[in-house]
Amino acid sequence: MRVNKKSLLAIGAAAVVATLGLAGCSTGSGENDPAEAAGGTLTVWVDAERVDALQAAADAYSEEKGVEVELVGKDNADIKDDFIQQVPTGKGPDITMGAHDWLGELSTNGVVAPIELGDSAADYLPVAVDASTYEGTTYMLPYAVENIAVLRNADLVPEAATSFDDMIAKGQAAGLAHPFVVEQGAEGNPYHLYPFQTAFGAPVFGTNDEGYDPTDLQIGNAGGEEFATWLGAQGKNGTGNFNTDIDGDIAKQAFLDGTAAFWLTGPWNVGAAIDGGINVAIDTVPSPTADAAQPFAGVKGFFVSSESKNKVAANDFLVNYIGTEDVQMELFEAGNILPALSAAAEAASSDPIIEGFAAVGAEAVPMPAIPAMGSVWQYWGIAQAEIINGADPVATWQKLTADVSAAIG
Amino acid sequence: MSTKIDDEVVPGRSDTSGTSATAPKPTKRQRQAAGIADAASGGIKVFLFKLVALGLVDAIALYALFILVTADQWLIAAVVAVVTIAVNWIYFSRRRLPAKYLTPGVIFLVLFQVFVLVYTGYIAFTNYGTGHNGSQQQAVSSLMASSLQRVEDSPTYPVTVVDQFGTLGLLVTDPDGDALIGTNESPLAEVDAEFDGGKAVAVDGWTTLSFADVIARTDEITELAVPFSDDPNDGAMRTPDGSNAYQYVSTLEYDEAAGTMTDLTTGAVYSDIGTGAFTSPDGEELLPGWQITVGFDNFVRAVTDPRLLQPLVYVTLWTFAFAFISVASTFFLGLFLAIVFNDMRMRGRKFYRVLMILPYAIPSFLSALIWAGMMNESFGFINQVIFGGASIPWLTDPWMAKFSVLLVNLWLGFPYMFLVCMGALQSIPDDIQEAAKVDGAKPWAIFRLIKLPLLLVTVAPLLIASFAFNFNNFNVIYMLTDGGPRDSNAPIPVGFTDLLITMVYKVAFTGQSRDYGLASAYSIIIFIIVAVISIIAFRRTKSLEELN
Amino acid sequence: MAEQGKGNGNGRGKGNGNGRGKGKGTKERGSWVENLAAEGGIAGAALDAEAERAAHPRGVPLKRPFNFGRWFRATGWRHIVGLVMVVFALFPIVFVISSSLNPNGTLTGSNALFSAIGFESYVRILTDPQVPYPQWFANTILVASVTAIGTVFLGALAAYSFSRMRFTGRRFGLISIVVVQMFPQMLAVVAIFLLMSSISDWFPAIGLNTHIGLIMVYLGGALGVNTFLMYGFFNTIPASIDEAAKIDGAGHARIFFTIILRLVAPILAVVALLSFIFSVNEFAVASVMLIDTEKQTLAVGLTKLVSNPRYADWSAFSAGAVMAALPVVVLFLWLQKYIVGGLTAGAVK
Repeated sequence: MRVNKKSLLAIGAAAVVATLGLAGCSTGSGENDPAEAAGGTLTVWVDAERVDALQAAADAYSEEKGVEVELVGKDNADIKDDFIQQVPTGKGPDITMGAHDWLGELSTNGVVAPIELGDSAADYLPVAVDASTYEGTTYMLPYAVENIAVLRNADLVPEAATSFDDMIAKGQAAGLAHPFVVEQGAEGNPYHLYPFQTAFGAPVFGTNDEGYDPTDLQIGNAGGEEFATWLGAQGKNGTGNFNTDIDGDIAKQAFLDGTAAFWLTGPWNVGAAIDGGINVAIDTVPSPTADAAQPFAGVKGFFVSSESKNKVAANDFLVNYIGTEDVQMELFEAGNILPALSAAAEAASSDPIIEGFAAVGAEAVPMPAIPAMGSVWQYWGIAQAEIINGADPVATWQKLTADVSAAIG
Repeated sequence: MSTKIDDEVVPGRSDTSGTSATAPKPTKRQRQAAGIADAASGGIKVFLFKLVALGLVDAIALYALFILVTADQWLIAAVVAVVTIAVNWIYFSRRRLPAKYLTPGVIFLVLFQVFVLVYTGYIAFTNYGTGHNGSQQQAVSSLMASSLQRVEDSPTYPVTVVDQFGTLGLLVTDPDGDALIGTNESPLAEVDAEFDGGKAVAVDGWTTLSFADVIARTDEITELAVPFSDDPNDGAMRTPDGSNAYQYVSTLEYDEAAGTMTDLTTGAVYSDIGTGAFTSPDGEELLPGWQITVGFDNFVRAVTDPRLLQPLVYVTLWTFAFAFISVASTFFLGLFLAIVFNDMRMRGRKFYRVLMILPYAIPSFLSALIWAGMMNESFGFINQVIFGGASIPWLTDPWMAKFSVLLVNLWLGFPYMFLVCMGALQSIPDDIQEAAKVDGAKPWAIFRLIKLPLLLVTVAPLLIASFAFNFNNFNVIYMLTDGGPRDSNAPIPVGFTDLLITMVYKVAFTGQSRDYGLASAYSIIIFIIVAVISIIAFRRTKSLEELN
Repeated sequence: MAEQGKGNGNGRGKGNGNGRGKGKGTKERGSWVENLAAEGGIAGAALDAEAERAAHPRGVPLKRPFNFGRWFRATGWRHIVGLVMVVFALFPIVFVISSSLNPNGTLTGSNALFSAIGFESYVRILTDPQVPYPQWFANTILVASVTAIGTVFLGALAAYSFSRMRFTGRRFGLISIVVVQMFPQMLAVVAIFLLMSSISDWFPAIGLNTHIGLIMVYLGGALGVNTFLMYGFFNTIPASIDEAAKIDGAGHARIFFTIILRLVAPILAVVALLSFIFSVNEFAVASVMLIDTEKQTLAVGLTKLVSNPRYADWSAFSAGAVMAALPVVVLFLWLQKYIVGGLTAGAVK
């Protein structure tokens, strides 16, 4: 196999060389700087919108330790697949930014190296450390924890709602036809509906001591069917509070225009709401039952490539540098999401918005990172969308459960 | 340039038979005369130019050879040498005329297109995908790294990396403040050391490594595992970052000779049974595994997957319909517009033409998003503004969604056909039309009987290629509907606008697992279908013949 | 169809660019041209209708009084078609422009187009130090132009040999250059990354993260469906032209560079444009090959602005996309005269 690939490459390389002469004369000028330095350079893939926030830390680290840190802003949609494909070639980055729910996939593909947080593990929010651990091994240095919450237009509705029905009632009292919006789409959006599902006591998986247990599928329990019934009643043929035609853009616009007073969304949209002149308050997710509505928590962090030739520098940079309060605060300011480091989280919580999200986050559960979750996502949203659009809730929910169990196998 | 033109045939004007023999070959004398004339008119300069160009090629090739040989890449060097010699031979030869024109393009084609083809073909015979992503060696090192468990409740040991005659050691400060030293071979032992702020930083006989030295010797330090004591069960000290060390025990043991992995906690032995992963006797696999070739397995799985059976028929029908209607609609709209705006008397036609290609100049994923937004049932521009609040299910009804996909693909594709037809129309002799007009033919008849057949000779291959492209038009489906609306009866998440290619990808890429081997096998099967259709279609066109 | 596979392109600018260089045969050319004109050559027929009519500008309508019915039958209906098509073609683009002018707006969340007008997004994208838009713009122009020229050149060479010469494997070659490009491109990016990264090991100047490397990959598509387009066009140039030139003592290279290329200028321009548009919009390969932000093309750089839907700056992206469409428009405006009857006429005069 090796030989095959090599010889393919060989033929390719040969032809390139020969071609250079023929066509090279007509091709334009090219720069001649082999970017790859011999060692002492850390290549870090970063979400394009976070490059700014990390640049100062990267420069300071280079200054202090003499290790150059090259930040590469990556397209958020491709970063995971590119990482999985490029690491085995030895050309991938040393470090990549990512999210904890990639863990299962990255670890199954053998592209991540464990990270030792050492004593500093205690300095992080417990949910962040839990989420960074997969099958007992820590692979991620967490930098932020994010979850959704309800954004309330405090000018329209001055008081927080106590329950889902109370929220709708308060909004209608303020004269709004559909006071509550949440991002859906033709294929649904289970991430945003999860708090309501948990309120009915139907998590996706049960847990054991290593975390989520893929063999213990809880989604189809009695609570799940109750949730489905409720969802159907709130859909197209019911109150219309949920609508699959409302996508992210439409929900945002409705909140900005003041036609909706409650918006179930994440911290990433707070900036836009404030810029739009809305007096924003953050509330917990109003529950349709007596139990709390728990959203998913997503933890963002950094992974070290298993093929990195600079593992020592990479670990040092992450654990001893990104893990400091200053850097975590910088990242926080760039993304407005709660830092994973407790001290930074506390400092950030002086902001009432962050405090609001942190309060909701206290109830949040980590999104499962186990590979079986992929099979759930595939069927989950579409089933919810069908229920919202009037399909028989219980039957649809049962089919969802059957499809998921079949896919997990 | 005095190349003989034996292998050049002048297409006879009446020759549409495709054989090359009808035009009379020039006599020997004519050829000689042509050669002399050619040489007289600048042949020397041409020759010099050729010499310089080939000299450059050879110089670059020599340089490449030099680098490759120094890097011990003999095979590649040999290929470079052969290609270079071939190029020289082709261009210095007096014959090989077609090769002179084809070689440059073919080199790029072989390198970048054929390589992709061969690579995909090769992947189809492997298990490349999630869990089988790299080499066995990478899998072993990744498994071993993950199997390290920090000894519970063990402290963090501040550490200094030291060197003695090339052997690395760890100078460890234990929680009591004592200094210990050890190497890969010798377990930790107490030593007298120099302290700085409670941390041992140097010891006699050893050189302390600076951080830069540590970075430079990363590979050795990653391998450095100092036994904690004489008892192997105590594990070893390792330092991930060069300044702190932790005590680890490994839960896996790799026996390189036997090719087995042993789980030290359960005693289970995982061996390489040729499936690309260490597998226990009861079938449990340790992942990551590695890439191996699996023969025709992927193809067998591809054609025997029972989940595909139910949607296969309607997806295939729709794929053909989609490809055919897309080609027909974009071509006729593009052609129509090219003709309409080709009239000299029309003012502002330049302006119209520029606007017509704008859809082509905007990134297509952006336009797809906008179309999806405009087609939103309750809020979209089309329903709300154009149809005054109607609720037409553009993307949510199975039939409407098909129509919408075709409409958007028409929008995306007609500028291409417009440009192509604009160019191709220029090749149609005007006098034929004039003659027909004089004979009293109606414009429609002129178009149908004269223009269209002539045009088709040029563009028929493009229409075939366009059919093949749309047959596999993954992007437009993915961006606009992702196959939806979903067919909730199907056992796989397939929808009513899914094409064959998007459907099989949904099978190969389920959830988080990506089976590139299976996807490649599907790609090849679909490619064969498309290629056969295309080749048959090609043979039915006259485009392979010459026509004047 | 938006991006005809990878194969779109070919190109050597217009017919008289770098390739000609050698023959200084302006004088001789006159004689060939006379020959073929005397032959009543069909090249004369290749002359576009417009060019012919251009000789008598608006001659016919001027003499007669304006008649709406006649005007409508002649050109009026064309304007109606034009307007309808303009609405169809521009309808989604209006959203892009509206979004680019509304710095805080969403892309499709609102149907109130142009509810805010401001150029902040344009300023933002042109001045943000993390978004080196002018650099991306220059990179894109460089890569796309060189690719277009290279593609037309390589493609025209191949089309000429397919059209004018007979050799073993000709039919096979013709079919295979198209069929090869029908191959699904699913793993293309992985394969090209592997290939380019091993080239980088030995020749970093043409490997990953270089414009030359990217251009070479694009030139891999030079022989493809557009070669066929050129081939078809070459076939319509009468062989008598070659014969006449040959009798005058021109070699095949001279015939190709100085006569044929001028006669097929319209198709060269079309192919150059297709190739240019293709490389401007190409994303998948460019995004894995160009690593440094300063080396990236517009398609790669701009996509990063919106790749994370949660932080997507659609307004800046739209502004960038509007400006990115300008080179295509300018190029098309410039090439139009070659496409619709400029040079063919000139060559015969």
